Amino acid sequence: MMKEDNIIVCRCEDVTLKDIRELIKRGYTNIEEIKRITRCGMGPCQGKNCGQIILREISMITGIPVEKLTLQRYRPPFGGIKFSEVLGENNDEK
Amino acid sequence: MMKNKASIVIIGGGVIGCSAAYNLSKRGLKDIVLVEKKFLASGATGRCGAGIRQQWGTRQNCFLAKKSMEIFENFRDYVDTKIDIELKQKGYLLLAYSDKEVDQFEKNIFIQHEYGIPSRILEPEESLEIVPFLNIEKLKAAAFCPTDGHANPFHVTAAYAEAAKKNGVTILKDTEVLGINKSKGRITGVETSKGLIETEKVLNAAGSWAREIGKMAGLDLPVFSERHEILVTEPVNSILDPMVMSFSYNIYCQQSPHGSFIMGYGPENEGHNHRINSSCNFLENMSKKATWLLPPLKKLRIVRQWAGSYNISPDKQPIVCESEELAGFYMAIGFSGHGFMLSPAIGIYLTDLILKEEPPFDITVDLGRFERRETISEPSVV
Amino acid sequence: MIETDILVVGGGPAGISAALACGRNNIKTVLIEERDFLGGQLIKQTHRFFGSKEERAGSRGIRIAEDLMNEIKKNKNIDLYLDARALGYYEEEKIFTVLQNGRMLKFSPRKLIIATGAFEKSLSFENNDLPGIYGAGAVQTLMNIYGVKPAERVLMIGSGNIGLIVSYQLIQAGVQVVGVIEAAPEIGGYAVHASKIRRLGVPLYTSHTIKKAIGNEFVTGAEIIELDRNWNEIKGTEKKIDCDCICLSVGLSPLVDILSQSGCEMVYIPELGGEVPVRNENMQTSIDNIYVAGDLAGIEEATAAMLEGELAGLCAANTFINDVKQDERIEKIKNNLEVLRSGPKGSKIRSGLNKLIKGETFFQGGRNTGSEIEAFKKTGIPSGENLRSILPDEKRINETPFALIECFQEIPCDPCVNNCPFGAITEGTDINNLPKIDYSKCTGCGSCISRCPGLAIFLINKNYSENTSTVSMPYEMLPVPQKGEIVDVLDREGKKIVSGKVVKVLKNEKMDKTNVISVEIPKEFFNVARNIRLVK
Ligand SMILES: Cc1cc2nc3c(=O)[nH]c(=O)nc-3n(C[C@H](O)[C@H](O)[C@H](O)COP(=O)(O)OP(=O)(O)OC[C@H]3O[C@@H](n4cnc5c(N)ncnc54)[C@H](O)[C@@H]3O)c2cc1C
Ligand code: SF4
Ligand code: SF4
Repeated sequence: MMKEDNIIVCRCEDVTLKDIRELIKRGYTNIEEIKRITRCGMGPCQGKNCGQIILREISMITGIPVEKLTLQRYRPPFGGIKFSEVLGENNDEK
Repeated sequence: MMKNKASIVIIGGGVIGCSAAYNLSKRGLKDIVLVEKKFLASGATGRCGAGIRQQWGTRQNCFLAKKSMEIFENFRDYVDTKIDIELKQKGYLLLAYSDKEVDQFEKNIFIQHEYGIPSRILEPEESLEIVPFLNIEKLKAAAFCPTDGHANPFHVTAAYAEAAKKNGVTILKDTEVLGINKSKGRITGVETSKGLIETEKVLNAAGSWAREIGKMAGLDLPVFSERHEILVTEPVNSILDPMVMSFSYNIYCQQSPHGSFIMGYGPENEGHNHRINSSCNFLENMSKKATWLLPPLKKLRIVRQWAGSYNISPDKQPIVCESEELAGFYMAIGFSGHGFMLSPAIGIYLTDLILKEEPPFDITVDLGRFERRETISEPSVV
Repeated sequence: MIETDILVVGGGPAGISAALACGRNNIKTVLIEERDFLGGQLIKQTHRFFGSKEERAGSRGIRIAEDLMNEIKKNKNIDLYLDARALGYYEEEKIFTVLQNGRMLKFSPRKLIIATGAFEKSLSFENNDLPGIYGAGAVQTLMNIYGVKPAERVLMIGSGNIGLIVSYQLIQAGVQVVGVIEAAPEIGGYAVHASKIRRLGVPLYTSHTIKKAIGNEFVTGAEIIELDRNWNEIKGTEKKIDCDCICLSVGLSPLVDILSQSGCEMVYIPELGGEVPVRNENMQTSIDNIYVAGDLAGIEEATAAMLEGELAGLCAANTFINDVKQDERIEKIKNNLEVLRSGPKGSKIRSGLNKLIKGETFFQGGRNTGSEIEAFKKTGIPSGENLRSILPDEKRINETPFALIECFQEIPCDPCVNNCPFGAITEGTDINNLPKIDYSKCTGCGSCISRCPGLAIFLINKNYSENTSTVSMPYEMLPVPQKGEIVDVLDREGKKIVSGKVVKVLKNEKMDKTNVISVEIPKEFFNVARNIRLVK
């Protein structure tokens, strides 16, 4: 048996393969749904790494090919930006 | 399996639809089908600030908010769920920048106290005890209610939905309502992307698409949708207890238990449409506003921005009733920026409405109020 | 707000080529790159390129990058922003935001060309968060950019070209590669790349996967397991391999965040690496003013990326200049791309593009089955039959020195053809064909040896002396042996067969670090000896 709880899917939020599989089995079969409930992929990487794995898991458990699943959405600003940088105040005081 | 017969079809898997489904099923209604075109909380619910405020200016809102907060406080028992809704009750700090606003807050607090809402007025300096790094320049006074707060909207919706499922409700995700069939002035069924569901009752809880659902039934519902943008930062140690909010400076900002800051403001000159793209303008304005009011935020990293739709009625207050033109067509729409916080009480109210029992509370939320010119004048809305 | 005609995002081969295509046509162009240097993946590619002469095949990626960078810097129409990270595109306001030097810059481009490349796929297996597990890209960056040796004993997961090349580079850096694992039944990358590491003694496990990483605080080993035809684990075939680093090279995914966020229509096409933008033949997406090029439009390789970059650049530029001359060049590039993708190794990308590009079928032709032989695809080691098929007749073998081309898989590559001064090597019209030698023309000059990116050409002098032959072979390890030195002579699997004497060392600028070593061995080994190892 694979030790699913030793397999980390999202490093940003410490979500394991076991967490993901349980959610899918509970009926959460949309990647956006899973991301929101677990915060998996809600860190600065926006799910670039875990997204693929989640899609594959959904496909494996539901039997729907990945091509037919809804893909994840990305949102700006990529990689994050500080408020001071938005405002053009690059004197990072303190 | 597609369910093809229902006692009621609930359109919309947002917090309102799911709260209604749960409450109806808890009271014993069978064969409930909830239809959601994408996934649960994919609309306004999953995009919202998720604040829960009891500091309102009308009796009815004070009542609904207080009632809802009591349910949020006991959510595990009330909804019989293991899901943690991440309720944080560290208050709402409302900022007043004019004498008129201070006046209004005082009037509101008078009403709030009637309902046992523990709010109070603070001098600018006193508000520093609650948020030490608040910029109190130009601040006249603040109102504070320590039991206000916020919760995780996905978890609340999921908890309602899972409990409803346990009670036998069928939830169809990825299923879009395409039409509503009528015959001889009565509803006969709902046409969906996955087939027809026969029913005599429909609950329109389609959030920003409420008007379109109305049209499918031949009704002209007086609501429109408007984009509201929002952003979130990286998580950091807890430094901000309450939700900080101002109607006149136009901002709300909170720190979630997870550590990220979530903030937004009400837009100006937005069209009435379903746009939910993000704008650069919002990013810049929000940055200016937030860092002026809460200067230490400057060093924080914004990680995502997005937008959702407010569904807005002429008096910016919800419409929760059965249509007078079409029997069996119920609606819970037009929640503007406060549908999440009112969802527990609205779910209960809807249940009695649909089961044709005495309304559990005396509130005016029907569609007829606009014709009767009895609109609700709530002074404290974003 | 910074106004520009064209904004190119990403300074890899695709982005650079796109910017140059615009800049050369006097169009105001901005090129932004997240890192503080241009070149993208090219910088890490110290190996020689496959492809045709026109696309600079036979040169090393890093050299191609240098030339392109110089041209970018010289071109007055191109404003280069390094250390500049794309934040997002706001389609409604037509604003593209970029973070540079702690400031958000706002660009308002008339056309956007997105060429952000790809990122490495990850793999879920037990203990996959142990320190010592790296992506191949990270390992390459450590070695080739920072000159750091990443570990002592590396297990490579994945035998695509990247996995094979990085394994080779690791060995060049003095690291032991304890094995290459491949889940598919055959090698993913070019077989000639596999042959190179096989000659260095690296075992290759096809139809195998990693089950778990072993170790408490850091990696000390890995457990691998064999897979059956249906990719299921075969119980009882678990093996433990000692290593201090597990290097993942299980494929790339297009980096489509900006496109997806901008609202471009996206589709999932496994053959192209996952989620890709829908686009037309001119590299234009569903949003009229957004073009794409390179790996983010579908995982391929640098030659295709450069062609696509130029294509996207010209098509975007031509919306302003409407120059017929450009139309000709555009057709030429499309044609070159088609040729590049027409061989058996291009069948995956062809099938992906056919799904992607709407309307008429993009590729009509193209061959799917090459003449490669099963065993070679599995092991990277040519079979007896392979070898017999290329040997000249007995008479020619015994006459004068002759070249032997051990290239048995149809790939889009032809430097050998272009570099034989006597025109002895031909491929016919299709760059994917296997090279053929006309032994009546081959003089045994040996020029071809160092030009082959697959290190697949050897020169045999059967009758060097009465009892000995010499084999001249390409050698890219350091240190370079001295003339007269006695070395271990290895076979195609890296096993020692005999000791031999180095009789000649050819080394010059033009050969760019692919030296040619001639070693003297007993005659019976002339068709076995294919590598050497220095004896300390
Ligand atoms: C930026 C922002 C901040 C907010 N902040 C707060 C706050 O702090 N506190 C608060 O209480 N409220 C807040 N709100 C308001 C709150 O989010 C809403 O009032 C509430 O979520 C409404 O819930 P709902 O279930 O009616 O609508 P929704 O959550 O929008 O649910 C409607 C559902 O119906 C589905 N649907 C639509 N058409 C169809 C169809 N044809 N067939 C099937 N399904 C369909 C949609 O996909 C959607 O999931 C905020 C809103 C926004 C946008
Ligand atoms: S050895 Fe010289 S003549 Fe023979 S094929 Fe090679 S380059 Fe041509
Ligand atoms: S022999 Fe020719 S075709 Fe084969 S890899 Fe070498 S250069 Fe390319």
